[in-house]
Amino acid sequence: MKRKEIPYKDLKSDKVSFIFNDITVTGVRGQPIAVALMSNGIYTIRHCEVTGEPRGIYCGIGHCYECRATVNGIPSKRTCLTLIEEGMIVSSDTDISYGAE
Amino acid sequence: MDVDVLIVGAGPAGIVSSIELAKRGLKVVVIDEYYKPGGRLLGQLYEDPNLPKENNLWDGKVIASKLTEEAVALGVTILCETTAWKIEEQFIVYITDTTVKEIHTKAIILATGAIEKALPVKGWTKVGAISVGAAQTFTNLHNVKVGSNVVFVGIDPLSISVALEMKHAGINVLGMFLPAPSMLVSEKSNPKITLETLALASNLAPNKLFRIFGKFVKGKISNLVLSMLKFNLIKINGIPIYLRKAVTEINGKRKVESVTIKKLSVKGQINRDQEKTLYVNTVCLSGGLLPLVDSSQLVNCEMVDIPKLGGIVPLHNQFLKTTIDGVYVAGNITGIEGAKVAMAQGKLAALSLLYDLQLVEQDEVIEAFESVEVARIESPLQFYPEIKIGRQIMKDKWEEFQGVRGVVN
Ligand SMILES: Cc1cc2nc3c(=O)[nH]c(=O)nc-3n(C[C@H](O)[C@H](O)[C@H](O)COP(=O)(O)OP(=O)(O)OC[C@H]3O[C@@H](n4cnc5c(N)ncnc54)[C@H](O)[C@@H]3O)c2cc1C
Ligand code: FES
Repeated sequence: MKRKEIPYKDLKSDKVSFIFNDITVTGVRGQPIAVALMSNGIYTIRHCEVTGEPRGIYCGIGHCYECRATVNGIPSKRTCLTLIEEGMIVSSDTDISYGAE
Repeated sequence: MDVDVLIVGAGPAGIVSSIELAKRGLKVVVIDEYYKPGGRLLGQLYEDPNLPKENNLWDGKVIASKLTEEAVALGVTILCETTAWKIEEQFIVYITDTTVKEIHTKAIILATGAIEKALPVKGWTKVGAISVGAAQTFTNLHNVKVGSNVVFVGIDPLSISVALEMKHAGINVLGMFLPAPSMLVSEKSNPKITLETLALASNLAPNKLFRIFGKFVKGKISNLVLSMLKFNLIKINGIPIYLRKAVTEINGKRKVESVTIKKLSVKGQINRDQEKTLYVNTVCLSGGLLPLVDSSQLVNCEMVDIPKLGGIVPLHNQFLKTTIDGVYVAGNITGIEGAKVAMAQGKLAALSLLYDLQLVEQDEVIEAFESVEVARIESPLQFYPEIKIGRQIMKDKWEEFQGVRGVVN
Protein backbone atom coordinates (compact mmCIF):
# COMPACT_ATOMS: atom_id res chain seq x y z
CA MET A 1 0.00 0.00 0.00
CA LYS A 2 2.74 2.49 0.95
CA ARG A 3 4.60 1.49 -2.17
CA LYS A 4 1.84 2.73 -4.40
CA GLU A 5 0.92 6.06 -2.85
CA ILE A 6 2.91 7.85 -5.47
CA PRO A 7 3.38 11.55 -5.11
CA TYR A 8 4.28 12.12 -8.74
CA LYS A 9 8.01 12.48 -9.19
CA ASP A 10 10.28 12.26 -12.19
CA LEU A 11 13.44 10.49 -11.25
CA LYS A 12 15.33 10.99 -14.49
CA SER A 13 18.85 10.71 -13.22
CA ASP A 14 20.38 7.40 -12.28
CA LYS A 15 21.16 4.53 -14.58
CA VAL A 16 19.66 1.08 -14.23
CA SER A 17 20.94 -2.07 -15.96
CA PHE A 18 18.88 -5.14 -16.73
CA ILE A 19 19.13 -8.23 -18.91
CA PHE A 20 17.14 -8.62 -22.10
CA ASN A 21 17.53 -12.00 -23.79
CA ASP A 22 21.10 -12.43 -22.55
CA ILE A 23 22.32 -8.92 -23.30
CA THR A 24 22.79 -6.18 -20.75
CA VAL A 25 20.75 -3.07 -21.42
CA THR A 26 21.13 0.19 -19.53
CA GLY A 27 18.28 2.60 -19.10
CA VAL A 28 17.26 5.40 -16.80
CA ARG A 29 15.36 4.88 -13.56
CA GLY A 30 11.64 5.54 -14.07
CA GLN A 31 11.58 4.20 -17.61
CA PRO A 32 9.29 1.34 -18.61
CA ILE A 33 11.14 -1.64 -20.12
CA ALA A 34 9.92 -0.93 -23.69
CA VAL A 35 11.21 2.64 -23.47
CA ALA A 36 14.63 1.58 -22.22
CA LEU A 37 14.85 -1.00 -25.01
CA MET A 38 13.86 1.52 -27.65
CA SER A 39 16.43 4.04 -26.45
CA ASN A 40 18.98 1.29 -27.01
CA GLY A 41 17.75 0.69 -30.54
CA ILE A 42 15.82 -2.48 -29.65
CA TYR A 43 12.34 -2.44 -31.20
CA THR A 44 11.46 -6.15 -31.29
CA ILE A 45 10.20 -7.39 -27.93
CA ARG A 46 8.94 -10.88 -28.77
CA HIS A 47 7.89 -13.13 -31.65
CA CYS A 48 4.35 -14.15 -32.41
CA GLU A 49 3.76 -17.64 -30.99
CA VAL A 50 1.92 -18.75 -34.11
CA THR A 51 3.62 -17.10 -37.09
CA GLY A 52 7.01 -16.35 -35.59
CA GLU A 53 6.80 -12.74 -36.79
CA PRO A 54 8.52 -10.15 -34.62
CA ARG A 55 6.38 -7.84 -32.48
CA GLY A 56 7.03 -4.53 -30.76
CA ILE A 57 4.97 -1.93 -28.99
CA TYR A 58 1.68 -0.79 -30.51
CA CYS A 59 -0.43 1.30 -28.12
CA GLY A 60 2.30 2.26 -25.66
CA ILE A 61 -0.08 2.56 -22.71
CA GLY A 62 -1.11 -0.90 -21.65
CA HIS A 63 -4.17 -1.61 -23.77
CA CYS A 64 -3.03 -3.96 -26.54
CA TYR A 65 -0.64 -6.48 -24.89
CA GLU A 66 1.55 -6.52 -28.03
CA CYS A 67 4.62 -5.64 -25.95
CA ARG A 68 4.39 -8.53 -23.51
CA ALA A 69 7.44 -10.37 -22.24
CA THR A 70 8.51 -12.52 -19.33
CA VAL A 71 9.85 -10.38 -16.49
CA ASN A 72 11.68 -12.07 -13.61
CA GLY A 73 9.91 -15.29 -14.48
CA ILE A 74 6.43 -13.78 -14.66
CA PRO A 75 4.98 -14.25 -18.15
CA SER A 76 2.90 -11.75 -20.13
CA LYS A 77 4.03 -8.58 -18.39
CA ARG A 78 3.37 -5.48 -20.46
CA THR A 79 6.77 -3.90 -21.02
CA CYS A 80 5.28 -0.50 -21.81
CA LEU A 81 4.01 -0.33 -18.21
CA THR A 82 6.61 -2.24 -16.24
CA LEU A 83 9.42 -0.07 -14.92
CA ILE A 84 13.03 -1.25 -15.17
CA GLU A 85 14.86 -2.38 -12.06
CA GLU A 86 18.51 -3.16 -11.47
CA GLY A 87 19.31 -6.76 -12.42
CA MET A 88 15.84 -7.46 -13.78
CA ILE A 89 15.63 -10.37 -16.23
CA VAL A 90 13.45 -9.77 -19.25
CA SER A 91 12.97 -12.38 -21.92
CA SER A 92 10.96 -12.62 -25.12
CA ASP A 93 9.50 -15.98 -24.13
CA THR A 94 5.80 -15.62 -23.83
CA ASP A 95 3.08 -17.79 -22.52
CA ILE A 96 1.45 -19.37 -25.53
CA SER A 97 -1.88 -19.71 -23.76
CA TYR A 98 -2.18 -15.98 -23.39
CA GLY A 99 -3.92 -13.64 -25.85
CA ALA A 100 -5.62 -14.43 -29.12
CA GLU A 101 -3.32 -14.55 -32.09
CA MET B 1 -10.79 0.41 3.29
CA ASP B 2 -13.73 2.77 3.89
CA VAL B 3 -14.00 5.98 1.89
CA ASP B 4 -16.61 8.55 0.90
CA VAL B 5 -15.81 8.54 -2.81
CA LEU B 6 -13.91 6.18 -5.09
CA ILE B 7 -12.72 7.58 -8.40
CA VAL B 8 -11.74 5.25 -11.24
CA GLY B 9 -9.09 6.92 -13.42
CA ALA B 10 -6.39 9.43 -12.42
CA GLY B 11 -6.53 11.47 -15.63
CA PRO B 12 -7.32 15.19 -15.58
CA ALA B 13 -11.02 14.53 -14.90
CA GLY B 14 -10.45 12.12 -12.02
CA ILE B 15 -7.74 14.13 -10.28
CA VAL B 16 -9.64 17.42 -10.48
CA SER B 17 -12.72 15.66 -9.04
CA SER B 18 -10.64 14.30 -6.18
CA ILE B 19 -9.29 17.76 -5.37
CA GLU B 20 -12.76 19.34 -5.23
CA LEU B 21 -14.09 16.57 -2.99
CA ALA B 22 -11.08 16.53 -0.65
CA LYS B 23 -11.32 20.33 -0.28
CA ARG B 24 -14.78 19.78 1.26
CA GLY B 25 -13.42 17.23 3.67
CA LEU B 26 -14.43 14.01 1.96
CA LYS B 27 -12.22 10.95 2.10
CA VAL B 28 -11.27 10.10 -1.47
CA VAL B 29 -9.32 7.33 -3.15
CA VAL B 30 -8.38 7.34 -6.84
CA ILE B 31 -7.35 4.14 -8.62
CA ASP B 32 -5.51 3.98 -11.94
CA GLU B 33 -4.15 1.06 -13.91
CA TYR B 34 -1.16 3.01 -15.28
CA TYR B 35 2.06 3.29 -13.30
CA LYS B 36 1.68 7.00 -12.71
CA PRO B 37 -1.21 9.45 -12.46
CA GLY B 38 -2.06 11.91 -15.25
CA GLY B 39 -3.83 9.84 -17.90
CA ARG B 40 -3.49 11.17 -21.42
CA LEU B 41 -2.31 14.52 -20.09
CA LEU B 42 1.11 12.92 -19.72
CA GLY B 43 1.75 12.85 -23.47
CA GLN B 44 0.48 16.33 -24.28
CA LEU B 45 2.94 19.05 -25.24
CA TYR B 46 2.06 21.89 -27.56
CA GLU B 47 1.57 25.61 -27.89
CA ASP B 48 -1.89 26.63 -26.87
CA PRO B 49 -3.06 29.74 -28.77
CA ASN B 50 -5.58 30.48 -26.02
CA LEU B 51 -2.91 30.96 -23.37
CA PRO B 52 -0.96 34.22 -22.96
CA LYS B 53 1.86 34.40 -25.51
CA GLU B 54 4.78 34.53 -23.04
CA ASN B 55 3.56 31.40 -21.38
CA ASN B 56 1.63 29.44 -23.97
CA LEU B 57 3.15 25.99 -23.65
CA TRP B 58 0.62 23.33 -22.65
CA ASP B 59 2.88 20.78 -20.98
CA GLY B 60 0.60 18.00 -19.77
CA LYS B 61 3.34 16.31 -17.70
CA VAL B 62 3.79 19.43 -15.61
CA ILE B 63 0.05 20.01 -15.25
CA ALA B 64 -0.45 16.37 -14.21
CA SER B 65 2.29 16.56 -11.61
CA LYS B 66 0.91 19.81 -10.14
CA LEU B 67 -2.62 18.41 -9.95
CA THR B 68 -1.35 15.20 -8.36
CA GLU B 69 0.67 17.09 -5.77
CA GLU B 70 -2.35 19.22 -4.93
CA ALA B 71 -4.56 16.15 -4.52
CA VAL B 72 -2.05 14.30 -2.36
CA ALA B 73 -1.53 17.39 -0.19
CA LEU B 74 -5.28 17.48 0.42
CA GLY B 75 -5.16 13.88 1.64
CA VAL B 76 -6.32 12.06 -1.49
CA THR B 77 -4.99 8.51 -1.81
CA ILE B 78 -3.90 7.56 -5.32
CA LEU B 79 -3.41 3.86 -6.01
CA CYS B 80 -1.53 3.26 -9.25
CA GLU B 81 -1.25 -0.06 -11.09
CA THR B 82 -4.66 -0.83 -9.70
CA THR B 83 -7.96 -1.55 -11.36
CA ALA B 84 -11.45 -2.59 -10.26
CA TRP B 85 -12.70 -5.99 -11.32
CA LYS B 86 -16.06 -6.18 -9.55
CA ILE B 87 -18.41 -3.61 -8.05
CA GLU B 88 -21.26 -4.63 -5.75
CA GLU B 89 -24.21 -2.47 -4.81
CA GLN B 90 -23.82 0.70 -2.71
CA PHE B 91 -20.77 0.06 -3.12
CA ILE B 92 -18.15 -2.58 -2.52
CA VAL B 93 -15.36 -2.27 -5.06
CA TYR B 94 -12.97 -5.18 -5.51
CA ILE B 95 -9.58 -4.02 -6.72
CA THR B 96 -6.41 -5.67 -7.97
CA ASP B 97 -4.16 -4.16 -5.30
CA THR B 98 -2.48 -6.86 -3.24
CA THR B 99 -2.88 -5.18 0.14
CA VAL B 100 -6.17 -3.29 -0.17
CA LYS B 101 -8.48 -5.89 -1.67
CA GLU B 102 -11.80 -4.09 -1.37
CA ILE B 103 -12.98 -0.54 -0.93
CA HIS B 104 -16.32 0.37 0.65
CA THR B 105 -17.56 3.66 -0.70
CA LYS B 106 -20.68 5.81 -0.69
CA ALA B 107 -20.21 7.15 -4.20
CA ILE B 108 -18.22 6.49 -7.37
CA ILE B 109 -16.95 8.75 -10.13
CA LEU B 110 -15.97 7.01 -13.34
CA ALA B 111 -13.26 8.93 -15.20
CA THR B 112 -11.62 6.27 -17.36
CA GLY B 113 -11.00 8.42 -20.44
CA ALA B 114 -10.64 7.14 -23.98
CA ILE B 115 -8.92 4.48 -26.07
CA GLU B 116 -7.74 4.51 -29.63
CA LYS B 117 -9.59 2.73 -32.37
CA ALA B 118 -7.44 0.24 -34.25
CA LEU B 119 -6.52 1.04 -37.83
CA PRO B 120 -5.89 -2.32 -39.47
CA VAL B 121 -4.00 -1.35 -42.62
CA LYS B 122 -2.31 -4.33 -44.30
CA GLY B 123 0.96 -5.03 -42.48
CA TRP B 124 0.02 -3.07 -39.35
CA THR B 125 1.35 -5.68 -36.90
CA LYS B 126 4.95 -5.21 -38.04
CA VAL B 127 7.49 -3.85 -35.61
CA GLY B 128 7.59 -0.09 -36.20
CA ALA B 129 3.86 0.31 -36.86
CA ILE B 130 2.50 2.03 -33.75
CA SER B 131 -0.57 3.95 -32.71
CA VAL B 132 -0.55 7.73 -32.69
CA GLY B 133 -1.04 7.64 -28.90
CA ALA B 134 2.13 5.57 -28.49
CA ALA B 135 3.98 8.03 -30.72
CA GLN B 136 2.75 10.91 -28.55
CA THR B 137 3.60 9.21 -25.25
CA PHE B 138 7.05 8.03 -26.33
CA THR B 139 7.96 11.38 -27.85
CA ASN B 140 6.66 13.74 -25.20
CA LEU B 141 6.59 11.73 -21.98
CA HIS B 142 9.52 9.36 -22.41
CA ASN B 143 11.63 11.54 -24.73
CA VAL B 144 12.50 8.60 -26.94
CA LYS B 145 12.49 8.74 -30.72
CA VAL B 146 10.14 6.09 -32.11
CA GLY B 147 12.00 6.18 -35.43
CA SER B 148 13.91 8.41 -37.78
CA ASN B 149 11.73 8.45 -40.92
CA VAL B 150 8.04 8.43 -40.14
CA VAL B 151 4.73 8.58 -41.97
CA PHE B 152 1.26 8.96 -40.51
CA VAL B 153 -1.80 7.05 -41.67
CA GLY B 154 -5.07 8.74 -40.73
CA ILE B 155 -5.44 12.51 -40.98
CA ASP B 156 -7.33 14.09 -38.08
CA PRO B 157 -6.75 16.86 -35.53
CA LEU B 158 -4.93 14.49 -33.13
CA SER B 159 -2.60 12.95 -35.71
CA ILE B 160 -1.75 16.37 -37.13
CA SER B 161 -0.88 17.70 -33.71
CA VAL B 162 1.23 14.64 -32.86
CA ALA B 163 3.05 14.90 -36.21
CA LEU B 164 3.93 18.50 -35.40
CA GLU B 165 5.17 17.48 -31.94
CA MET B 166 7.36 14.76 -33.47
CA LYS B 167 8.80 17.10 -36.06
CA HIS B 168 9.55 19.52 -33.25
CA ALA B 169 11.41 16.72 -31.47
CA GLY B 170 13.67 16.32 -34.51
CA ILE B 171 12.00 13.33 -36.16
CA ASN B 172 11.72 13.38 -39.94
CA VAL B 173 7.98 13.27 -40.73
CA LEU B 174 7.70 12.47 -44.44
CA GLY B 175 3.99 12.96 -44.77
CA MET B 176 0.46 12.19 -43.66
CA PHE B 177 -1.79 9.91 -45.70
CA LEU B 178 -5.25 8.40 -45.56
CA PRO B 179 -5.70 4.67 -44.89
CA ALA B 180 -6.64 2.47 -47.85
CA PRO B 181 -10.41 1.94 -47.87
CA SER B 182 -11.59 -1.40 -46.50
CA MET B 183 -14.57 -2.90 -44.75
CA LEU B 184 -13.32 -1.62 -41.43
CA VAL B 185 -12.01 1.72 -42.54
CA SER B 186 -14.37 3.72 -44.69
CA GLU B 187 -14.94 7.29 -43.54
CA LYS B 188 -11.28 7.67 -42.64
CA SER B 189 -10.38 6.89 -46.26
CA ASN B 190 -12.66 9.48 -47.79
CA PRO B 191 -10.84 12.71 -48.74
CA LYS B 192 -14.04 14.72 -48.70
CA ILE B 193 -15.16 13.60 -45.23
CA THR B 194 -11.63 14.04 -43.88
CA LEU B 195 -11.41 17.58 -45.21
CA GLU B 196 -14.88 18.44 -43.92
CA THR B 197 -14.00 17.15 -40.45
CA LEU B 198 -10.78 19.15 -40.39
CA ALA B 199 -12.55 22.23 -41.67
CA LEU B 200 -15.24 21.92 -39.00
CA ALA B 201 -12.60 21.47 -36.31
CA SER B 202 -10.83 24.54 -37.63
CA ASN B 203 -13.97 26.55 -37.39
CA LEU B 204 -14.07 25.89 -33.68
CA ALA B 205 -10.38 25.88 -32.90
CA PRO B 206 -8.86 29.26 -33.52
CA ASN B 207 -5.25 28.21 -33.99
CA LYS B 208 -3.16 28.64 -37.07
CA LEU B 209 -2.99 24.97 -37.77
CA PHE B 210 -6.68 24.61 -38.34
CA ARG B 211 -7.17 27.99 -39.92
CA ILE B 212 -5.41 26.46 -42.89
CA PHE B 213 -8.30 24.05 -43.22
CA GLY B 214 -10.84 26.67 -42.20
CA LYS B 215 -10.61 28.36 -45.55
CA PHE B 216 -12.22 25.31 -47.11
CA VAL B 217 -15.29 25.57 -44.98
CA LYS B 218 -16.54 28.73 -46.63
CA GLY B 219 -19.18 27.30 -48.88
CA LYS B 220 -19.57 23.60 -49.38
CA ILE B 221 -16.43 21.64 -50.06
CA SER B 222 -16.81 20.90 -53.71
CA ASN B 223 -15.31 18.14 -55.77
CA LEU B 224 -13.43 20.91 -57.54
CA VAL B 225 -11.62 21.87 -54.33
CA LEU B 226 -10.72 18.24 -53.82
CA SER B 227 -9.49 17.80 -57.37
CA MET B 228 -7.29 20.80 -56.84
CA LEU B 229 -5.85 19.16 -53.75
CA LYS B 230 -4.11 16.74 -56.05
CA PHE B 231 -1.95 19.57 -57.32
CA ASN B 232 -1.99 21.94 -54.38
CA LEU B 233 -0.35 20.05 -51.61
CA ILE B 234 -1.20 21.29 -48.14
CA LYS B 235 1.82 21.69 -45.89
CA ILE B 236 1.70 22.45 -42.19
CA ASN B 237 5.02 23.55 -40.75
CA GLY B 238 6.72 21.68 -43.53
CA ILE B 239 4.78 18.42 -43.09
CA PRO B 240 3.02 17.40 -46.31
CA ILE B 241 -0.63 16.40 -45.86
CA TYR B 242 -1.76 14.15 -48.70
CA LEU B 243 -5.55 14.12 -48.71
CA ARG B 244 -5.64 12.35 -52.07
CA LYS B 245 -3.22 9.54 -51.33
CA ALA B 246 -3.59 6.38 -49.27
CA VAL B 247 -1.20 3.94 -47.68
CA THR B 248 -2.32 0.54 -48.98
CA GLU B 249 0.32 -1.62 -47.35
CA ILE B 250 3.07 -1.50 -44.77
CA ASN B 251 6.04 -3.54 -46.01
CA GLY B 252 9.15 -5.03 -44.45
CA LYS B 253 10.63 -8.38 -43.69
CA ARG B 254 11.29 -8.21 -40.00
CA LYS B 255 10.13 -4.69 -39.36
CA VAL B 256 8.75 -1.70 -41.20
CA GLU B 257 10.91 -0.83 -44.21
CA SER B 258 8.51 0.99 -46.50
CA VAL B 259 4.90 1.83 -47.28
CA THR B 260 3.02 1.47 -50.56
CA ILE B 261 1.12 4.57 -51.59
CA LYS B 262 -1.65 4.84 -54.15
CA LYS B 263 -3.72 7.74 -55.38
CA LEU B 264 -7.29 8.20 -54.19
CA SER B 265 -10.19 9.51 -56.23
CA VAL B 266 -12.28 12.37 -54.87
CA LYS B 267 -14.74 9.77 -53.54
CA GLY B 268 -12.02 7.77 -51.84
CA GLN B 269 -11.48 5.00 -54.37
CA ILE B 270 -8.04 3.64 -55.03
CA ASN B 271 -6.47 4.30 -58.37
CA ARG B 272 -4.91 0.93 -59.09
CA ASP B 273 -2.54 1.99 -61.85
CA GLN B 274 -0.05 4.12 -60.06
CA GLU B 275 1.81 3.18 -56.95
CA LYS B 276 4.80 4.53 -55.15
CA THR B 277 7.04 3.16 -52.44
CA LEU B 278 8.19 5.40 -49.64
CA TYR B 279 11.05 4.18 -47.45
CA VAL B 280 10.35 4.67 -43.74
CA ASN B 281 11.06 2.82 -40.51
CA THR B 282 8.02 3.91 -38.55
CA VAL B 283 4.32 4.23 -39.31
CA CYS B 284 1.95 6.00 -36.91
CA LEU B 285 -1.64 4.86 -37.22
CA SER B 286 -4.51 7.13 -36.21
CA GLY B 287 -7.91 5.48 -36.16
CA GLY B 288 -9.68 7.96 -33.87
CA LEU B 289 -10.75 7.80 -30.22
CA LEU B 290 -13.52 5.94 -28.39
CA PRO B 291 -14.82 6.50 -24.84
CA LEU B 292 -13.51 3.74 -22.51
CA VAL B 293 -16.67 2.56 -20.82
CA ASP B 294 -16.13 -0.96 -19.47
CA SER B 295 -16.15 0.28 -15.86
CA SER B 296 -19.69 1.67 -16.30
CA GLN B 297 -20.84 -1.80 -17.22
CA LEU B 298 -19.47 -3.07 -13.89
CA VAL B 299 -22.05 -0.88 -12.13
CA ASN B 300 -24.83 -1.55 -14.67
CA CYS B 301 -25.21 2.00 -15.94
CA GLU B 302 -27.70 2.45 -18.76
CA MET B 303 -25.68 2.96 -21.97
CA VAL B 304 -26.50 4.93 -25.14
CA ASP B 305 -24.86 5.06 -28.56
CA ILE B 306 -24.23 8.64 -29.66
CA PRO B 307 -21.73 8.71 -32.56
CA LYS B 308 -21.39 12.50 -32.29
CA LEU B 309 -19.86 11.99 -28.81
CA GLY B 310 -17.58 9.21 -30.02
CA GLY B 311 -19.71 6.08 -29.55
CA ILE B 312 -21.34 4.18 -26.70
CA VAL B 313 -21.35 6.14 -23.44
CA PRO B 314 -23.13 5.88 -20.08
CA LEU B 315 -26.42 7.78 -20.07
CA HIS B 316 -26.05 10.86 -17.86
CA ASN B 317 -27.64 14.21 -17.13
CA GLN B 318 -26.07 17.64 -17.62
CA PHE B 319 -24.63 17.43 -14.13
CA LEU B 320 -22.91 14.13 -14.92
CA LYS B 321 -25.12 11.83 -12.84
CA THR B 322 -25.68 8.40 -14.34
CA THR B 323 -28.75 6.20 -14.09
CA ILE B 324 -27.31 4.53 -10.99
CA ASP B 325 -27.69 6.51 -7.74
CA GLY B 326 -24.30 7.51 -6.41
CA VAL B 327 -22.45 6.95 -9.69
CA TYR B 328 -21.16 9.94 -11.65
CA VAL B 329 -19.04 10.29 -14.81
CA ALA B 330 -16.46 12.85 -15.94
CA GLY B 331 -14.05 13.37 -18.80
CA ASN B 332 -13.76 11.39 -22.01
CA ILE B 333 -15.99 8.57 -20.75
CA THR B 334 -18.85 11.01 -21.49
CA GLY B 335 -17.60 11.89 -25.01
CA ILE B 336 -14.28 12.71 -26.62
CA GLU B 337 -13.00 16.21 -25.92
CA GLY B 338 -9.75 17.91 -24.92
CA ALA B 339 -8.06 17.98 -21.54
CA LYS B 340 -9.49 21.35 -20.47
CA VAL B 341 -13.03 20.06 -20.87
CA ALA B 342 -12.11 16.90 -18.92
CA MET B 343 -10.81 19.04 -16.05
CA ALA B 344 -13.92 21.22 -16.01
CA GLN B 345 -16.10 18.10 -16.06
CA GLY B 346 -14.10 16.67 -13.18
CA LYS B 347 -15.07 19.68 -11.12
CA LEU B 348 -18.69 19.50 -12.23
CA ALA B 349 -19.04 15.82 -11.30
CA ALA B 350 -17.55 16.54 -7.87
CA LEU B 351 -19.90 19.48 -7.23
CA SER B 352 -22.88 17.55 -8.50
CA LEU B 353 -22.06 14.80 -6.00
CA LEU B 354 -21.49 17.35 -3.21
CA TYR B 355 -24.85 18.92 -4.00
CA ASP B 356 -26.55 15.56 -3.64
CA LEU B 357 -24.87 15.23 -0.24
CA GLN B 358 -26.15 18.73 0.57
CA LEU B 359 -22.65 20.05 1.02
CA VAL B 360 -22.79 22.82 -1.61
CA GLU B 361 -25.42 25.20 -2.95
CA GLN B 362 -27.01 24.93 -6.35
CA ASP B 363 -25.26 28.09 -7.64
CA GLU B 364 -21.90 26.39 -7.36
CA VAL B 365 -23.06 23.48 -9.48
CA ILE B 366 -24.45 25.85 -12.11
CA GLU B 367 -21.17 27.76 -12.11
CA ALA B 368 -19.21 24.54 -12.63
CA PHE B 369 -21.58 23.61 -15.43
CA GLU B 370 -20.91 26.92 -17.15
CA SER B 371 -17.15 26.44 -16.79
CA VAL B 372 -17.43 23.30 -18.91
CA GLU B 373 -18.96 25.39 -21.71
CA VAL B 374 -16.13 27.93 -21.40
CA ALA B 375 -13.50 25.18 -21.47
CA ARG B 376 -15.09 23.81 -24.63
CA ILE B 377 -14.74 27.17 -26.36
CA GLU B 378 -11.15 27.53 -25.20
CA SER B 379 -10.02 24.07 -26.29
CA PRO B 380 -7.37 24.16 -28.98
CA LEU B 381 -8.19 20.65 -30.12
CA GLN B 382 -11.59 19.39 -31.18
CA PHE B 383 -11.94 15.66 -31.85
CA TYR B 384 -15.59 15.32 -32.81
CA PRO B 385 -16.74 18.50 -34.54
CA GLU B 386 -20.41 18.03 -33.69
CA ILE B 387 -19.84 17.43 -30.00
CA LYS B 388 -22.32 20.12 -28.94
CA ILE B 389 -25.10 18.45 -30.88
CA GLY B 390 -24.01 15.18 -29.27
CA ARG B 391 -24.37 16.74 -25.81
CA GLN B 392 -27.88 17.94 -26.73
CA ILE B 393 -28.83 14.44 -27.89
CA MET B 394 -27.62 13.11 -24.53
CA LYS B 395 -29.80 15.66 -22.72
CA ASP B 396 -32.84 14.59 -24.74
CA LYS B 397 -32.15 10.91 -24.13
CA TRP B 398 -31.84 11.53 -20.40
CA GLU B 399 -35.19 13.33 -20.33
CA GLU B 400 -36.76 10.54 -22.32
CA PHE B 401 -35.36 7.99 -19.86
CA GLN B 402 -36.59 9.98 -16.85
CA GLY B 403 -40.02 10.15 -18.50
CA VAL B 404 -40.08 6.39 -18.84
CA ARG B 405 -39.02 6.01 -15.21
CA GLY B 406 -41.68 8.53 -14.20
CA VAL B 407 -39.17 10.72 -12.41
CA VAL B 408 -39.27 14.49 -12.57
CA ASN B 409 -35.80 15.80 -13.35
C1 LIG C 1 -3.98 8.74 -27.50
C2 LIG C 1 -4.69 9.97 -27.04
C3 LIG C 1 -4.12 11.22 -27.28
C4 LIG C 1 -4.76 12.38 -26.86
N1 LIG C 1 -4.17 13.59 -27.09
C5 LIG C 1 -4.77 14.72 -26.67
C6 LIG C 1 -4.16 15.99 -26.85
O1 LIG C 1 -3.08 16.09 -27.43
N2 LIG C 1 -4.81 17.09 -26.39
C7 LIG C 1 -6.01 17.00 -25.74
O2 LIG C 1 -6.54 18.02 -25.31
N3 LIG C 1 -6.59 15.82 -25.58
C8 LIG C 1 -6.01 14.68 -26.00
N4 LIG C 1 -6.63 13.47 -25.84
C9 LIG C 1 -7.97 13.44 -25.25
C10 LIG C 1 -7.80 13.10 -23.80
O3 LIG C 1 -8.55 11.99 -23.59
C11 LIG C 1 -8.15 14.28 -22.92
O4 LIG C 1 -7.24 15.32 -23.13
C12 LIG C 1 -8.07 13.96 -21.42
O5 LIG C 1 -6.85 13.35 -21.08
C13 LIG C 1 -9.21 13.14 -20.97
O6 LIG C 1 -9.15 13.07 -19.58
P1 LIG C 1 -9.85 11.93 -18.77
O7 LIG C 1 -9.52 12.22 -17.35
O8 LIG C 1 -11.24 11.81 -19.18
O9 LIG C 1 -9.14 10.59 -19.26
P2 LIG C 1 -7.62 10.13 -19.36
O10 LIG C 1 -6.70 11.25 -19.40
O11 LIG C 1 -7.59 9.14 -20.47
O12 LIG C 1 -7.39 9.34 -17.99
C14 LIG C 1 -8.08 8.16 -17.70
C15 LIG C 1 -7.27 7.35 -16.73
O13 LIG C 1 -8.06 6.25 -16.32
C16 LIG C 1 -7.26 5.11 -16.25
N5 LIG C 1 -8.15 3.96 -16.40
C17 LIG C 1 -8.93 3.64 -17.45
N6 LIG C 1 -9.66 2.54 -17.19
C18 LIG C 1 -9.34 2.16 -15.94
C19 LIG C 1 -9.77 1.09 -15.11
N7 LIG C 1 -10.71 0.22 -15.50
N8 LIG C 1 -9.21 0.99 -13.89
C20 LIG C 1 -8.27 1.87 -13.47
N9 LIG C 1 -7.85 2.90 -14.21
C21 LIG C 1 -8.37 3.05 -15.43
C22 LIG C 1 -6.25 5.27 -17.34
O14 LIG C 1 -5.08 4.54 -17.03
C23 LIG C 1 -6.01 6.77 -17.35
O15 LIG C 1 -4.90 7.13 -16.56
C24 LIG C 1 -6.01 12.29 -26.22
C25 LIG C 1 -6.57 11.03 -25.98
C26 LIG C 1 -5.92 9.88 -26.37
C27 LIG C 1 -6.55 8.54 -26.10
S1 FES D 1 2.22 -1.57 -26.25
FE1 FES D 1 0.12 -1.97 -25.99
S2 FES D 1 0.14 -2.90 -24.03
FE2 FES D 1 2.17 -2.31 -24.25
